[in-house]
Amino acid sequence: MAGRLLLVCRVLVRDLRRRPTETVLLLIAITAATGTLTLGLALNEIATQPYQQTRTATAGPDVVAAPRATGPDALAALAPLTTAAGVTAHSGPYPVAFLVLTAHGKTAHAVVEGRDNAPAPLDRPAVTDGTWVRPGGVVLERAFADALGVHTGDTVSVDGRALRVLGTAVTAARTTYPYAGWTSPDSALTERGGLVWVDRGDIAALAGEQPLSYTLNLKLADPEASTAFVDTATTSPRRTVHGGELTTWQDIAEADGRPVAQAQAVLLVGSWLLTVLAIAGVTGVVAVRVSGQRRRVGLLKAVGAGPAMVAVVHLAEYLVIGLAAAGTGLAAGLLAAPTLIQPSAGLLGSVNTQPPALYMVVAATTLALTIAVAATLAPVVRAAATSTVHALADAATPPRRRRWRIWLSRRLPAALLIGIRINARRPRRARLVTMNTLITTTVLVAMLMNHAQDKPFDLGYSELVDPRAERTDQAMLVLTVVLCVLALLNAAVNTWTAVLDARRPLAVARTLGATPAQAGVGLAVAQLLPAVPGVAAGIPAGLGLYTVASRGGIQYPPDSWLLATALGVLLAITALTAIPAMAIAQRPVADTLRSTPT
Amino acid sequence: MTGSTLLAARGLTRRYGRGSGLVRAVDEVDLSVPAGQTLAVMGPSGCGKSTLLHLLGGLQRPTGGKVWLAGRRIDMMSERALARLRRDSVGFVFQSFHLMDELTAVENVELSALLAGQSPRRARQRAMHLLDRVGLVDRADHLPSALSGGQRQRVAIARALSNQPLVVLADEPTGNLDSAATLEVLRLFDDLRTAGQTLVVVTHDTRIAAVADRMITMRDGVFVDDSRLASAATGPVHDGRR
Ligand SMILES: Nc1ncnc2c1ncn2[C@@H]1O[C@H](COP(=O)(O)OP(=O)(O)OP(=O)(O)O)[C@@H](O)[C@H]1O
Ligand SMILES: [Mg+2]
Repeated sequence: MAGRLLLVCRVLVRDLRRRPTETVLLLIAITAATGTLTLGLALNEIATQPYQQTRTATAGPDVVAAPRATGPDALAALAPLTTAAGVTAHSGPYPVAFLVLTAHGKTAHAVVEGRDNAPAPLDRPAVTDGTWVRPGGVVLERAFADALGVHTGDTVSVDGRALRVLGTAVTAARTTYPYAGWTSPDSALTERGGLVWVDRGDIAALAGEQPLSYTLNLKLADPEASTAFVDTATTSPRRTVHGGELTTWQDIAEADGRPVAQAQAVLLVGSWLLTVLAIAGVTGVVAVRVSGQRRRVGLLKAVGAGPAMVAVVHLAEYLVIGLAAAGTGLAAGLLAAPTLIQPSAGLLGSVNTQPPALYMVVAATTLALTIAVAATLAPVVRAAATSTVHALADAATPPRRRRWRIWLSRRLPAALLIGIRINARRPRRARLVTMNTLITTTVLVAMLMNHAQDKPFDLGYSELVDPRAERTDQAMLVLTVVLCVLALLNAAVNTWTAVLDARRPLAVARTLGATPAQAGVGLAVAQLLPAVPGVAAGIPAGLGLYTVASRGGIQYPPDSWLLATALGVLLAITALTAIPAMAIAQRPVADTLRSTPT
Repeated sequence: MTGSTLLAARGLTRRYGRGSGLVRAVDEVDLSVPAGQTLAVMGPSGCGKSTLLHLLGGLQRPTGGKVWLAGRRIDMMSERALARLRRDSVGFVFQSFHLMDELTAVENVELSALLAGQSPRRARQRAMHLLDRVGLVDRADHLPSALSGGQRQRVAIARALSNQPLVVLADEPTGNLDSAATLEVLRLFDDLRTAGQTLVVVTHDTRIAAVADRMITMRDGVFVDDSRLASAATGPVHDGRR
């Protein structure tokens, strides 16, 4: 047993070292998929961890009550809640007014809450800059301040009254900007807006004519029972985050996670696309490797290795690469997550993703091994099952012979003829090219679609960025960059395998009188031909994917953009292929035809 | 001069294709190789020598007839049993060496011992001993690419001997070698014969006659001549088994 293990490890290590380029390529391909998956999963943490931290740091309430009624009616509605069964503490009621804030020429809805300077038993907003409220000043919720570009010491105006910005703070008692729950006094609509705090004594003057609303923070004996508490305390079934009367901390947490939810969906769908791309890439590399190892398979069998042993020797290598790639992908995803996708500024704390959660490790490892096995199982099993004599006699799978293509290509110009024959030899590789361009085009078109959408029309402050769209755009960008890198790598690998495989036939063609240019262009054509259907199918696939993934109100990008994308992809492939193809075609024929047995 | 029958075949047949494309690579041959004998099989290209060797070593299955090795039928064995047979009882030597490029000489030699489940330490000892026997102990840590053709073939022969096989089957072992390297290999085969190793060598090279006890000539899949050689009578005395 020890001897066999030694053998497997020895062959594995030597093989990885002997072909470092391929090893690195495999590693990169699988890492791209696992890294993106980790990034998507890490967004989960970004969505939930900071809220929890903020809730702990600010003595966040379990339930927030905000009646629709105003003035004395509201206070009367809130009074019984402070003594309701299960309530152990409360703070408030605090007066609230729904006003308009202007800063640096930008206007936004502001939920203005009147607070005391002394700390409250529940909901003590954590001051992140400056100081807490004093008469004549205002404290802005941090995400709101960021969106407005407001800093401590600036002056803002609330419904026309100038107030000095005393500082910024975060809270767990209300959803961060832009979902602070701004309700117009004379309509039932809840609109986007941010939260600001002022001194309790200032709010009446700021509100002017507007009757004051009130909000009450409750602490329950059992925070997990908040939903049950709300259900028994309210008679009306209307219980929504923004406008409702009672809101649980879980509702707020969910709403706070919403800005990253779409970005997360983009990355998770993206990681599946990248997985397919990685499988295509790995399959390409493995096919070459295994066919290069065919003589070794024959030899192992001749000295008495059974098919199982042969399969183990060859699979082990890819499993090790898969495991390594799971590690690098996890590390890359976790390191990149906090910098690529900013957690909401409205919450406290950095995202702490190291050590990674167990489910992330499991997910990344499973994905990496799946890619490794999916791409390698077929060629390895095929190699293990080939007859020993065949394997020993021949170093490569005999090329396929496609009669009609050979017939057809005889009627074409020399370069096209060479290209078609190269593909006819290896139809599987041509299919990988198609797959690669299909997925690349799909994602690029989905990206275009995302770009073509009008940002939603907002009353009052359309010039302010929407953190949700911002994060979705970030995620799209990350995905597109990773994908393009992987697609380019795949195309390079594919060209390189085609070049290796076609070296001899091209050399023979040249001894028969084909010029180097014809041979080089032929190779480029061989890559370009299968790319065309991939690009053609990728455009509707990208349009469809975006349409399915987003709900309603789709706008399509102009046709010229789509056409430019298609041409761009084809051009990139041509450029990528032409260079190595020309280089190989310039090599002296005799070098290629010479070979030595070992 | 030799022991009991070690390797035997009856009505051994291997055909390829059918109809007008039918090739009788090996056509109903009978063969009996006593233990300790060195048998040379000669004949023109395409007469079926390699095929015969593959059938005798369990690398290929016959389309008809029977093969026995040490009294056991091998033509009907399962794939697993055949793998074990090749591991324990048969050593192959090929024209193009078939060393693993990424393994050093000694690692190549210990390959089948490790496959057979021997401990790494014992496998290494045995491999060094065999390299010593083929005169390459000072090249143990060289990769095949750093060895000459003759040296590579001697490594391959050491590998074939690794598990003390009942029989060594060699297919044109000197086909890729120049005459000096061929002599090295022939000298090694002569040593093996002296040591009583059963050996079947397929070759074009008539110099093999100098080290063989018996020579079979094939043509179109059948044996056309089977003769004992003078060298057997005058050569070194056989002391039977190892
Ligand atoms: N896979 C195969 N399919 C069809 N015919 C085959 C196959 N393998 C071998 N043959 C035929 O069987 C015959 C014997 O082949 P074999 O390789 O045994 O000859 P050989 O005596 O070893 O020749 P050489 O001296 O050239 O190595 C040949 O005519 C060959 O064409
Ligand atoms: Mg032969």
